[in-house]
Formats: sequence, structure tokens, C-alpha cells
Amino acid sequence: MSRSITLGQYMPGKTLMHRLDARAKLLSLILLILGLFTASSYWGLIFLLILALVHLSFTGVPLGYILRGVRHIFVLILLTLLLHFFFTTGGEVLIREQLFVAEITVESEGVQLGTTVALRLIILIFFTMLVTLTTTPLALTGAMESLLTPLKYLRLPVSEMSMVAMISLRFIPTLMEESDRIVKAQMARGARIGEGNFLQKARSLIPVIVPLFVSAFRRAEELAVAMEARCYRVGARRTSIRETRFAFKDYMVIIFSVALAAIMWFTPL
Amino acid sequence: MKSGVRELALIALHVAVISILARFALPVPFSPVPLTGQMVGVFLAGSLLGSKKGAFAVFTYILLGISGAPVLAMGRAGPGVLFEPSGWYLLGFLPGVFILGLIMERSSPNSGRFLPAWGGMLACLAITYLCGVSYFMQVLEYEPAQAAAVGILPFLPGDLAKIALTVPLAAKLIKVLGARPGRI
Repeated sequence: MSRSITLGQYMPGKTLMHRLDARAKLLSLILLILGLFTASSYWGLIFLLILALVHLSFTGVPLGYILRGVRHIFVLILLTLLLHFFFTTGGEVLIREQLFVAEITVESEGVQLGTTVALRLIILIFFTMLVTLTTTPLALTGAMESLLTPLKYLRLPVSEMSMVAMISLRFIPTLMEESDRIVKAQMARGARIGEGNFLQKARSLIPVIVPLFVSAFRRAEELAVAMEARCYRVGARRTSIRETRFAFKDYMVIIFSVALAAIMWFTPL
Repeated sequence: MKSGVRELALIALHVAVISILARFALPVPFSPVPLTGQMVGVFLAGSLLGSKKGAFAVFTYILLGISGAPVLAMGRAGPGVLFEPSGWYLLGFLPGVFILGLIMERSSPNSGRFLPAWGGMLACLAITYLCGVSYFMQVLEYEPAQAAAVGILPFLPGDLAKIALTVPLAAKLIKVLGARPGRI
């Protein structure tokens, strides 16, 4: 378990993409994804791919770093391509081969569906990378909280969410240390932890997890008392140390994204 | 939902538990989704916290993950996760944990210590699978049988084993912490 935590994929910079408001970036990401899923022709997809690549090149992030982000979905894309090529039927037969006992056919609709889906996935990853590479996790959290504010009218505790998120991040190292201590304490009492077959190993976790929860619950109660003593109230309005405001460029980005999504939606592109 | 500061702290605790358990992840060959321990954390959140608070914990966990904190399995983070298959399983935890919590809350004391937990966790698992499989069918346009082969079959034995482990653990925790199921 690493004790140092690296947050997100953020690459510091001062380009236009970096300076945009995080809320504007998230909103246009949602709009562009809507556009992406309604784009039905190769031309529309290729246009979106070029758009994503051009913007990625403007962020000044090295190409190797971007390709590393796509690496882990490479297998998924390959699997999807193969499945559609060999198993989706319809249209003209492009290849017919006798392979040992089975006959393998590749038909045109399978090729079309496979490439469309793969292309869509790649564009999706590029668009989201555009946001994550240029936005700090902190700004992203703030933007998500403010975009979720309408949920408040459904009586959902939106403003408490970020407080819970911060407390839980603080709990992670505490719980790790605590579990280390309990494992040692139980072993000193003669517990055999992590020995024997799978079932015995699993059963040996119970004398660790139960005291861990008991002490963690006590900690949570102490924390609650400490927060109440400092006048933290649930549902009270909180202000932020950083107030962000939409600038002209943020409105332009959103208008552009709406237009693009509308074009993808209403035209055969 | 009206929740006090104590409830907030307990919810945060469960978010931390899910995050730690997510570190125990095994990549599954031929499937883009890993086998993870986070499910155990989700089961515990549902059976200890109940429907609303359990769902709150899972929702905060997902938000933490997509805003870039390294709490998800295999060190994945950022909004991109939502467009990968594992992200849809994550989203499936949300209705799943709510149903599990509801079953735990509504269970009568004479239905036994294990029966409601088994039912609730199986329901939670089924809902999670449904969401995960719908990714393969909607986004990647797989046939239902192909989606099930990639999205359910590799995980079923491991997940059933996790349920078999978590049911007695949850019962023990509820007893030790002196609470009623789903009402901590």
C-alpha cells in the first residue's frame, strides 16, 4: 500500500484549455458525448476525432502521455472489433474462409459496426482526457459539486457530499495504520492470520475486521463530536475560499458545444 | 434525507472502507473488468448503513473516483472511468446497495441472521451485473449472450464467494456494534 497519493492525470500548464472554467469544461464534455453518440456516419466520427486531436495538441501534453492513457482500453477495443467482425452478420459477405471445422465469414455490417464502435470509444477517451489533463482534481470536484446543486431540490444532501469525501480521504491512512496494529496484536495473541487454505485465510480475517470496525466507529463518533464542538451544522450554507466566475471564453465554449451536438443530432452526419 | 454529523462521519468511514478494499483487485483474463474487493465494502455499507446512507456512501465513492482520487480498483481515476465497462458496474452499485439496504431494514428479526443478507446481497449483485452488461450491449453493441460471457461469467464464482464471506461478517458486525440491520 503506497502512502503517497498521486491525484489524477493533471498536467500543469497555462494554455487556453487550462484556463477555462472547470464547469464549462464538464458541461461541454457532456454535450460533446451526446453529440458523439448521435453521430451516425464515418464523416461525423472522423470530424470529432480530428477535433479532439487538435485540442489535445493545443494543451501541450506530450504524445506519449496521451497514448499511455489509451493503452489500458486497447484490449477492449481489439476484443470488440474481433467480436463484431466475426459474429455480427448482415450485408455483403467480404471474406469466407474454411478454418478447420468451422466456416468463418466477415460481413460488411459487422465491419461497419465494429469500426464505428471502436472509433467512438477512442474519441470518448480523448475527450475526457482533454478535461482531466487540464483540470486539477480539486477544481473538478468543485465543478461537479456545483453542477449537482440542482439535486438539492430533490432533498439530496449535495453540499455535505464534498465534506464526506474529504473526511473519507483522511480516514484511509488512519484505517490502514489501525489494521496493521490489530494484525500485530492478534498475532501476538496467537492468531494465525493468512495461513492455511483459502477458507481458513478468509476466516482469519474476522478477528481483524471486527475490532477494526469497532475502533473505526469510535473514531467516527469522536470526529462527529469534534465537528459539532466547532459548530459544523448539517445543511448550513458554506462559502468557498475560491469563487470562480464564468468568463466570455467559457460561454463561447458552451455555445460551440451546443451547436456541435445539435448538428450531430439533426443532420445525418 | 435528514442526517446528523455522526451519520456523515459514519458514511465517510464506509467510503474509506470501500476505497481500501478496492485496492485488492485481480485482473481477469479476457475481460476488461477486474475482480475487486470493493464489492465487499459495498455489501457492508448496504447492510450496516441501510438504503439511503448506503447509497450516499456509494455515490460519494463514485464521485471521488471520477474527480480523480485514486480510490478505484487498479488505480483508475477520472471521469473517463464512466465510459469504461468497470464504470458501469460502479454505477450499478448505487441502485444495488439501495435495494440491499432496503431489504436489511425491512427484514423482521425472526427471518434469521443470514437470510436477509443473502437475499439482499444477491439482489445487489444481480443489479450490478445488469448495469455492467448493459455497457457491453449499449456502448459496444454486443449480443446479449456475448455480453454475459464477458461481463458475468468470469466474475460469478468470485462474487458468490465474496457474498459467502460477507454475510457472516456483516451479521457479526451488526451484533458487536449493537445495532439493528441497516440502522446504524
